[in-house]
Amino acid sequence: MKLPLSWLLEHVALTCSIDAIAKALTDLGIEVEGIDYPAASIEGVLVGQIQSMQPHPNADRLRLLQVDVAGDQPLAIVCGASNMVEGDKIALATVGTYLPGDFKIKRGKIRGEVSLGMCCSEVELGLADEAEGILILDSSTEVGSDVSAYLGLETAILDLSITPNRGDCMSVYGLARELGAYFDVPLTLKSLEKTVFDADVATPVVHIEDQDDCPLYMAQQIEGVVLTDSPQWLAQRLQACGMRTVNGVVDVMNYVMLEIGQPMHAFDRAMVKGDLYVRRANAESMKGLDERELSLNAEHLVVADDQEVIAVAGVMGSLSSGVTAQTTSLILESAVFQAARVSTVARQYGSVTEASMRFERGVDRAQTAVALQRATSLITTLFGGRVSAVEQCGDGEWTKHKIQFPISAIAKRLGIDVPESTDLVLQGMGFSIERDESTIRVSVPAHRHDVRLVEDVIEEYARIYGYDHIPTVLPAIAMNVAAPAPKRLLDHVVAQGFTQVINYAFISEKQQRLFSSSPEKDVRLLNPISAEMSVMRHSLFPSLLANAQYNLNRQQSRVCLVEEGRSYFSEEKGFQEVNQLSLLWAGEAGSDRWYQDAKSVDFFDVKGVVETVLKQMGQLPRWQACDDIQGLQAGQTAVWQQGKRRVAVLAKVSRGIAKSYDLDGDVFVAEINLDMLSQSKKPAFKALAQHPSVTRDLVFLFSNACVVDDILAVARKASGKALQDVRIFDRYDGQGVAEGFVSLGIRLTLQANDRTLQQAEVDDIAKKVVTMMAKKFSAQQR
Amino acid sequence: MSSFDIDLESKLHELQQAALEAFSTAANLAALDTLRVQFLGKRGQLTALLKGVGQLSAEQRPLFGKKVNTVKAVLATCLEQTQVLLHQKEEEAAIQAQRVDVTLEGRSQYVGQMHPLQIGLDEISGIFASMGFEIAHGPEIEDEFHNFDALNIPPEHPARAMHDTFFVKSDEKRVLRTHTSPVQIRSMLAGEPPLAIVAPGRVYRCDYDVTHSPMFHQVEVFLVDKDVNMAQLKGVLSQFLSIFFGKKVPLRMRPSYFPFTEPSAEVDIGCVFCDGKGCRVCKDTGWLEVLGSGMIHPNVLRSADIDPEVYSGFAFGLGVERMVMLKYGIPDLRLFFENDVRFLQEVGR
Ligand SMILES: [Zn+2]
Repeated sequence: MKLPLSWLLEHVALTCSIDAIAKALTDLGIEVEGIDYPAASIEGVLVGQIQSMQPHPNADRLRLLQVDVAGDQPLAIVCGASNMVEGDKIALATVGTYLPGDFKIKRGKIRGEVSLGMCCSEVELGLADEAEGILILDSSTEVGSDVSAYLGLETAILDLSITPNRGDCMSVYGLARELGAYFDVPLTLKSLEKTVFDADVATPVVHIEDQDDCPLYMAQQIEGVVLTDSPQWLAQRLQACGMRTVNGVVDVMNYVMLEIGQPMHAFDRAMVKGDLYVRRANAESMKGLDERELSLNAEHLVVADDQEVIAVAGVMGSLSSGVTAQTTSLILESAVFQAARVSTVARQYGSVTEASMRFERGVDRAQTAVALQRATSLITTLFGGRVSAVEQCGDGEWTKHKIQFPISAIAKRLGIDVPESTDLVLQGMGFSIERDESTIRVSVPAHRHDVRLVEDVIEEYARIYGYDHIPTVLPAIAMNVAAPAPKRLLDHVVAQGFTQVINYAFISEKQQRLFSSSPEKDVRLLNPISAEMSVMRHSLFPSLLANAQYNLNRQQSRVCLVEEGRSYFSEEKGFQEVNQLSLLWAGEAGSDRWYQDAKSVDFFDVKGVVETVLKQMGQLPRWQACDDIQGLQAGQTAVWQQGKRRVAVLAKVSRGIAKSYDLDGDVFVAEINLDMLSQSKKPAFKALAQHPSVTRDLVFLFSNACVVDDILAVARKASGKALQDVRIFDRYDGQGVAEGFVSLGIRLTLQANDRTLQQAEVDDIAKKVVTMMAKKFSAQQR
Repeated sequence: MSSFDIDLESKLHELQQAALEAFSTAANLAALDTLRVQFLGKRGQLTALLKGVGQLSAEQRPLFGKKVNTVKAVLATCLEQTQVLLHQKEEEAAIQAQRVDVTLEGRSQYVGQMHPLQIGLDEISGIFASMGFEIAHGPEIEDEFHNFDALNIPPEHPARAMHDTFFVKSDEKRVLRTHTSPVQIRSMLAGEPPLAIVAPGRVYRCDYDVTHSPMFHQVEVFLVDKDVNMAQLKGVLSQFLSIFFGKKVPLRMRPSYFPFTEPSAEVDIGCVFCDGKGCRVCKDTGWLEVLGSGMIHPNVLRSADIDPEVYSGFAFGLGVERMVMLKYGIPDLRLFFENDVRFLQEVGR
C-alpha cells in the first residue's frame, strides 16, 4: 500500500528523515518497495505572473512574455501557447529545472529571442497525458512559490508491502501506531467533532442472523446531503494512494478506510426498502456495482433489505443501492465481517478489493465506531446533511487474548535474551505486558489478530529488539555423513558431449499425443497458463525436439541434448511420477574438423553413447528390436526390457514427427527410466584370470535375416564356460557377398581359470561353434 | 731404398689420399660403409697393397708395416668422424621429416555442459550435504494437505491465494506443489528428530512474465532437534552463503511473515555486484533479497506429529534461479528455459 508522508505525519509528528522512517519500517517487518518523491519531480517550477505579452517578431505562433517570479526582475520567456492573458498566473519551469522524463530546462534562444524558462502544461508536469494549452493557476496563488505546493503534491510517498498477517498495518493510523511506538513519539489523537444527532432522522434498523459471520454492524443515516465532487485535498490523497475518485461519498468512504483501516460502505437510502439484514444468501442474485450479475448461495454472506440483496458483505454493493450524483440520503455501514466469508466470495468472483483485503486480514473492532464517526463528520462537513443516531447491532465489546510464557522461552527460541525495555515499545503498540521474575503475561490488542501463540509474541520481541542482534551460531548437527554422491547417468551423458536442457513439465495436448497414445493417463491442469502448457508430459521427447529445432535454426550443425526430469501419469493406483533421462542427437555425427569426415548421425552413433554411459553405470543391457512404439520409426527402434517393464528405448524419431518440427535430417532419441535403472542389478565382479587368454576369429556367411544378438547367444552357448568375450569384429556385405547375405566375423576370447588352454581345446570349441552356426543359421564358414 | 720401395710407398700415400677424399664426400652412412669395405675391408685396397710386402727386404718389412699401420689409423679416425657426422645429418633429416604444424587443432572430444540450474542445484545441495544435511525428494503433484494445510495455510488463508496454484483437473485436491516445503512434512512424518534435510526440486506457480517462470527450482533446508534456535539459523545461512558466493557476504535478516514459520525472516545479502555500495541490480539499496526463512511454526510440527514442546526447528527455502542469476551474473530469467546451447555452454565454463 501507498503511504503519503504528509498523512502519516498528521497522525504522528515524527521529526526524523524519510530514510530513517523507511529503515524503521524495514526493521519492523514492513517491506519498503520504493519511495516516490512527487514534489521533487517538479522542483524548480515556480508560480509566475505574466506581466506583459507581445507577439514574437520572427514567428507568428510564438509569443514573448515577461513573467514575474518574485525575483530581481521579470524573466523573458518564449511561449507557443495561446490560452493565457496578461495577469494570468502560470507554472514556470525555470532554468536548471528537471521536468519528469529527465527533461532539463536550459537558457535558450528561440528564433532569435532569449527564453529563460518554459511555461508548463499539465503534460510537462507529469499530471496528465494531454492538455489544451498551459496550466493557468488560481489568481490568489502567491507569485514565486513552488507549484508543487500549489498542486498539493506529496513530498514523499512510501510504497509498502504489507504481509498478510498484518491487517492492522493497512492504514495510515496503523502504521503511525507502529512508528510512534518505535520512535517513542505519541500519536496525535484527532479530536473528532461530536456529531449532533437529529431526532427527526430515522435510525436504520439492522438484524444480524449469525454473530459468527458478523460480530458487529454499525449504521447511521444521513439526510439532506448535497453531493459535489470531493475537495482537491481529498482527491489528491486518494490519488497518491493509487485510488480513483468516484463521487464525494464514495471518496469519503475510501478515505476513511485508508486512514483508519475500517472498510466502509454507503447505500442510497432511497433505494433501500425497510430494515437491513446481515444473513447468508439464499439462491438469489445481485447485480454488482461493476454491473456483473453475481449468483449467490448459502456460502455467501450478504446485506439485504426487506426485499433483496443490496451488498455482498465486505466485497461489493449492488448497483441499484449505490450512491449516485442524485443521492440525497445515505445509510453508512461500518461493520466487522468474518474473514473466511469475505475471502470465499472475493476469490470466487475474482473481486479482491481494498475492502475485501482488509476484512480477510481482520479489522480492528476498536475502530468500527471511530471510523463511522469520522465518515459522518467528513460527509456533513463537506456535503451537509442531518444525522441519525448510531445503530449498533452485535457486540462492541470483546475479550482480549492473553498469552503467558516463561521469560526463558525467548532466549530458547532466538538464541539471545531480549532486554526488558522492549516491553515499552510493545506497550506503545497496544499490548499490555506484565512480568515477574520468571514469567511474562501479555494481553493482545484487538487489532493484532495474528498474535495468538507464544511464538507470535516472541517474534514481536525479536522484531522490536532487532533481528540484527541475533548472533550467528553453528548448530551441532547429528551428522548423517553420507558417501559422496556417485556419478549420475546425467554426468556420464554430459561427458559424452551432450548439453543439458531444462524444459517445462507441461506441454500441449498435441505434443503429448506425438509419443503417447494413452490420453486416459494424462494429468491435465485445471488452470494452465495456456493450451500449449496444459498437460503434464508423458515423454521428454516433444520438448527436446523443440529444443533441437530452436538450436538448428541458430546455426548449430550438431545438436546433442540431454534432459533429466520427470514424466507424469494418472494411473489407477494414483498419480505416478517417473524419473527419466532422455537424450536427442540431430544433425552431424562427424564434423567440419580436419581429421574427421562429415557424416550425419545414425542409429549406432546414439547406441554407442547409450551403451557407453550404461556401461559406466555398471549395466550391460540386452537390446531387442521393437516395431510398435508410438512416434518412433519401425526397424530403427531398440528396447531394453526387464520382464514386462521397459528400462530404456533408443530410436529414430518417425519422419512425420521430425518434419512437424521442421527437422529435415534424421533425429535420434533415447529414454532411460532412472527409477528402473537404479533398481537394475549390476553384474557381479569377476575375479581376474591368472592364465593367458586365446582369441579365435571365425568368419561366416549369414542370411541377413539373422539377428546379431541371436548369433552371439548361439556362440556363447556353443563355446561353454571358457568363453570370456564374444563380439562381431567385422561386418561386410559388399562385392563378393551374395545378395541377401552378410559376412560376419566373430571373435571368441577363450580362457580357463585353472590352466592355459591347449591348442586342441581351442580347436574343439571353434569346431563346435562352426557346427552350431551351420545348424541354427545355415551359416557357412568363409 | 730401391725404386720399388719408393713406388710402394707412393702407392700407400696415394691410397690414403684417395680414401680420405672418398670418405669426406660420402653421401650417407650406407655409402660410407661401402667405401670402408673398398679401402679397409679384407679384400680392400690396403690389403692388396700389403701383399707387395713380400718383395721387400727383411729390414724394410717392419718399416713398411709401421707405415701401413699409420695409414690404417689415419683412415680409421677419419672414417669414425665421418660416421658421426653422417649419423647426425641423418637424424636431423628424420626430425625434419617428422615436423608438424603444432598450431593445428588437436583431435578432441565434444564437450557437453550441465545446465546452469543443475550446476546451482548441485552446488547448493552439495554444500548442505557436506554440512551434514541429508538429501530428500518429494512428489511434484502434491496434495493440499502437504502443500498447504500441514504448513499452517488453511483454505481461507490469504497466503493460499497468493501462491498462484496450478490445480490438477481430474482431482481438485491435487496441486502442482508451489514450494518444496511439503518435503518438510513428508520427512517429519517419515522420520524422527534429529532431522537435517535438504530437499531440492521443481516447483510451480501460475505466473508467467519477464520475471516469473511457471516452473522454477527451490531448495528447502530444515533442521529439527531439541533446542534449535534462530541464532543457529543465522549461522547455517551465513556459512552457506559465504561458501556459495565464494566470499564472505554480509547477511541481513528482516522480520517478515510466512505461515509456516514463527518468527519469520526475509534474508538479504550485501549486493554481490557492488559490494553493498549501491547499483542498478540492488536498486541502490546495497542489499539483495535471497530467501525466506524462520523457525518452524508449532502448528507445522504438530501436523507432522512432532511435539513442539520438545522439539524446535528452523527452515528456509532458496530460489535456485535467483541464486544462479546472482552468482553467474545472468540478467534474464527466461534464458534458463530457452535452452539455447550457446548460452548453456557459456555459463557452465
Ligand atoms: Zn548493488
